[in-house]
Amino acid sequence: MITCAHYRTALLAEPHAADAQLEQHRASCPECQAYSARLLQFDERLGRALRVDVPAAPARVAVLGASGVDAAGRRARDRPRRWFAMAASVLVVVALAGGLWLTAPHRSLAADVVAHMAGEPQAWTSGPVPVPATELDPVLAAAGMRLNPQSGPVSYAHSCLFRGHEVPHLVVQTEMGPVTVMVLEHEAVNGPKPFDEAGYVGVILPVPGHGSLAVLTRGPHADAAGLERIAARVRGAIHWDGPNG
Amino acid sequence: MNDPLGGNSKRARFQALCQALRPDLLRFAFWLSRDRALAEDVVQEAMLRAWKAQDSLLDEAAAKPWFLTIIRREHARSFERKRLVTVDVDELIAREEPMLAAAQDQDLAELRAALFKLPEEYREPLILQVLMGYSTAEIAAQLELSPAAVLTRLFRARKQLRTLCGEDTRLDP
Repeated sequence: MITCAHYRTALLAEPHAADAQLEQHRASCPECQAYSARLLQFDERLGRALRVDVPAAPARVAVLGASGVDAAGRRARDRPRRWFAMAASVLVVVALAGGLWLTAPHRSLAADVVAHMAGEPQAWTSGPVPVPATELDPVLAAAGMRLNPQSGPVSYAHSCLFRGHEVPHLVVQTEMGPVTVMVLEHEAVNGPKPFDEAGYVGVILPVPGHGSLAVLTRGPHADAAGLERIAARVRGAIHWDGPNG
Repeated sequence: MNDPLGGNSKRARFQALCQALRPDLLRFAFWLSRDRALAEDVVQEAMLRAWKAQDSLLDEAAAKPWFLTIIRREHARSFERKRLVTVDVDELIAREEPMLAAAQDQDLAELRAALFKLPEEYREPLILQVLMGYSTAEIAAQLELSPAAVLTRLFRARKQLRTLCGEDTRLDP
């Protein structure tokens, strides 16, 4: 049997700890329940405070590879020069990024998706039970889309305001556990954009004619290649209503 | 990252890895150094070192802790080079004021200033937990501490931070 002091000590170290004894204490102690709620709010603010804005990735990071000429006959002769070019390329990428740190007026799309997760923590605790069609369909209909079952069971569905537009925010149960899917019809990307930010691993995939799709998850099971497969599957499961569908 | 396909593929993979991890690496370096310019230098140096040492990264899934280790070492080196003995926190806060207040949210700006005042031994595990989403075991491995020591530091970090932010701490242990 743990005491309130033990409970709060453990909570201050690990506010999101999943421990049966702690859960049991919280359930039986209203004061500690209130304490937990306040601490989780504090931690949510702390997360936002730590996520300082960093510049969006430079558009032409390909400079890293632009100098690479690997013809076998030139390899030995060019080795020092190639190494210098590669090093310089990395420097260019980072310098570009660094130089933009203060001047960039916007955050990257991935950073905004991650920030949105922090503002909707209930999505992660929704449990594996699929939401009824009466809840899911209006969210999809508002975006002019339908989803066939190959995407996997949807356990959370909500229309969220994101960068000025209402977008579907779904949690889909997959072989990797629950993953969040955001359908971003107003955000075009020119290729898969993997990201790994603030404990979330994800990918933003282009959806031809319909912007993009962000798929992300967190935790030890997160794996970028697996997420890209899941994202492609979900993208394939979307049917668009209307003339461009 | 052994690469049977050749240098271009290797370079492209390394580049993609840097792209995906860069925002968190910059944030980590910033909170570690509390200095935007130094954070940029540290990440820049760390990426060069990482590129040079990429053969030692056997599993791309472990890339993030690998980069963080390089950044921590590079940060330590930069301090050795500059022989910084004492740090005036108020001066640091004043210098990074545009960054700290960038959220245009007074509450967040205060929290960021309080984070600046937290000793590094408490700030670092807190960043790894809250910003990187690391478990206690992962933080322990990264910082070469025991899990119990990590928990103690996390407890003290939040306790100090809450006090610095004027939170109601009457019920804190």
